[in-house]
Amino acid sequence: MNQRSISERADYLSRRRARMLPALAVIYFSQQVTFLSALGNGPHRGADHFKIGAWVVLSLVLMLALATKGFWLQPKEVRDLIDDESTRANRLDAMRLGFLFACGAALAAYFIAEFQPLTVGEGAHLVLTFGLGAALIRFGILERRAHRDA
Amino acid sequence: MLERLANRLKERRTELGLTQAELAERVGVTRKTVNTVENSVFTPSATLAIKLAQALQLSVEQLFWIER
Repeated sequence: MNQRSISERADYLSRRRARMLPALAVIYFSQQVTFLSALGNGPHRGADHFKIGAWVVLSLVLMLALATKGFWLQPKEVRDLIDDESTRANRLDAMRLGFLFACGAALAAYFIAEFQPLTVGEGAHLVLTFGLGAALIRFGILERRAHRDA
Repeated sequence: MLERLANRLKERRTELGLTQAELAERVGVTRKTVNTVENSVFTPSATLAIKLAQALQLSVEQLFWIER
């Protein structure tokens, strides 16, 4: 692959990621609606275990996509270029916001637990959902803004 | 006092007849990064600033300056 096609490919994938991230965040959050509405209702049923399994897998994939260069099937040159300086800065910014949201969710879980019992799993679910979701949205917004011409 | 890193990247790039993509290729970043530097959305590292200055045949001080 020559330098031109590497650059074009990296630019195309980077744009695609910027479009996809907010959509993924919406899917991720909408998946949580049923879980959050049933908070504190006691042990999960069989169907809930399936939903939680899907949530764990999606969380793991999104976390890896956010924390690494992503695009694991692309050539190394393309992956390195996609993860250039401004992308790394945007990712760090997103991670910082995600961390703050995770802390906020942990505080909220602590507060909720004062009024209704929460399991450790429910608490972890809240922290991960809000931390990861916020980071995804922020990363998507920053990447879209970066692609926009002045 | 608020300080901002201003630049004449776009002006110089246009003078040399380069597109954002071509300049990005020369310095080894994506077009997006050149775009954000041009629009002062992103402050480049010293390494990238030097690479950009070299690619545009200017000194770093001629290409970037602090605006107050």
